[in-house]
Amino acid sequence: MPVTMAVLAAVASTPLAAQTSQTGPISGYMDFHVNKRQFEDPVIDFHRFVLLFSHSFSEHIRFTGEIELEHAFVEGLEKAGELELEQAYIDFLISRRFNVRAGMMLVPIGIINERHEPPVYNGVERPFVDTVIVPTTWFESGAGVHGELGTGWRYRAFVMAPLDAAEFSAEEGLRGGRQKGSEAVVHRPSLTGRVEYVGLRGLQAGAGFWTGAANVSFRRLTSAVRVAEVDARYHRDRLELRGQYAHVFIRDAAGLNDAVERTSGVSPNVASQLRGFYGEAAYRIWNRGAPRDLVVFARYENFDTQFRMPAGAVPLTEFDRNAWVTGITYFPDPDIAVKVDYTRVGNASAIVRPQHQLNLGLGWWF
Amino acid sequence: MAIPERRWIGAAAVLLALAVAGDAPAAREPQPERPVIRISAERFSFTPSRITLAVGDEVEIRIASQDTAHGFRIVGSETEIVVPKRGSGDASVIFRAEKAGRLTFECNRMCGAGHNFMRGEIVVEPRGGPGR
Repeated sequence: MPVTMAVLAAVASTPLAAQTSQTGPISGYMDFHVNKRQFEDPVIDFHRFVLLFSHSFSEHIRFTGEIELEHAFVEGLEKAGELELEQAYIDFLISRRFNVRAGMMLVPIGIINERHEPPVYNGVERPFVDTVIVPTTWFESGAGVHGELGTGWRYRAFVMAPLDAAEFSAEEGLRGGRQKGSEAVVHRPSLTGRVEYVGLRGLQAGAGFWTGAANVSFRRLTSAVRVAEVDARYHRDRLELRGQYAHVFIRDAAGLNDAVERTSGVSPNVASQLRGFYGEAAYRIWNRGAPRDLVVFARYENFDTQFRMPAGAVPLTEFDRNAWVTGITYFPDPDIAVKVDYTRVGNASAIVRPQHQLNLGLGWWF
Repeated sequence: MAIPERRWIGAAAVLLALAVAGDAPAAREPQPERPVIRISAERFSFTPSRITLAVGDEVEIRIASQDTAHGFRIVGSETEIVVPKRGSGDASVIFRAEKAGRLTFECNRMCGAGHNFMRGEIVVEPRGGPGR
């Protein structure tokens, strides 16, 4: 009776704790932090409260949604917090090789942008490279295709609303230029995609890109953005390694700086190239087979939002930065992360003093 | 008059024993070991994501999570189990390839933003077909 054996074998092998653990129609993740910057008072912040929803219309048509509240509340000004619709898409699951997705989606660039639940990365804050070079969390409206070819080769390619270069900045690069699907103006759509290999146990490696015009606000400019990125994660036994390199090219940055200065009085000093990379090693020092884990890690980051400047522009050297992030992540449960890290930052400026930071954090997924 | 609870338990145990005994070889010869295919489940992929079998093959698919709890479901069948969180054990499914074709397996327990990418395929080829 093979069916009975299949059911008996499945039930017998699944521990009782897992049988009683249920996931309802709502999932989510949360994290809150205590950040102590050098020379400043500590700040406690409920950084993220995120809920995910899913619904299956049929075996082949599914909805996924994600709403995020940052910094606890919103009162109309961005500084007070953000309430964002990060994902809301329909998947038409046609075959393993080819599927269609449409709606609000995550841009498939970088390790963190598509994989940022708190227990999944070390450090209280997300890597700097994934903040100021790849503007995580980067999401936009669009449509595209995804699938898997062979064994372990996966792809996704989306057409999305473009960035608005008028909102770029010297300190945070592309970050302010995300339209976030909110009445996004599409003078010309952008194209983004990723190819990754997950066919070897413990290894995930990929490369992503973004290309498209960014002259949403200044139509007479030829502003355009290209992002090229490669990343890899590998874990074996107690060791995990990860690394990422991202390079951003902004066409006609000189024209952009001039246009913004003419309309606001201040040049944003946007670079024509941004560059960032990091490497991280983590070691699971408490690995006795129980669900609890203790991980120590160290990460070096180099992120320069003024890497190359357009002719006539001078780089702001305080934005040529690097950081060592070292710390511990304790998992009382695989879905709960207690984090402590010390972030030592540096920059190329002889005037602006960098501020090191001690961070404490608690994050969870359910 | 209601049947005492312990008699229901006893009846279930007898049925379970009969179900297991019904599959025991009459001559009590040792069963050939069933091949085990190990799958690693991790946000957001199964590795390997493709399993190739021949008609008549019977295998144990053993799934272990590297992080959170995942689901393992073979689309179109009633096989649907929970893969426990890291450190809480593995999950196993005994699969018998009855006929040639392709079956999709997927994570059916929301595990994060890339949950819908967690899919794989069981390819059942005719015995003596390509590659066999």
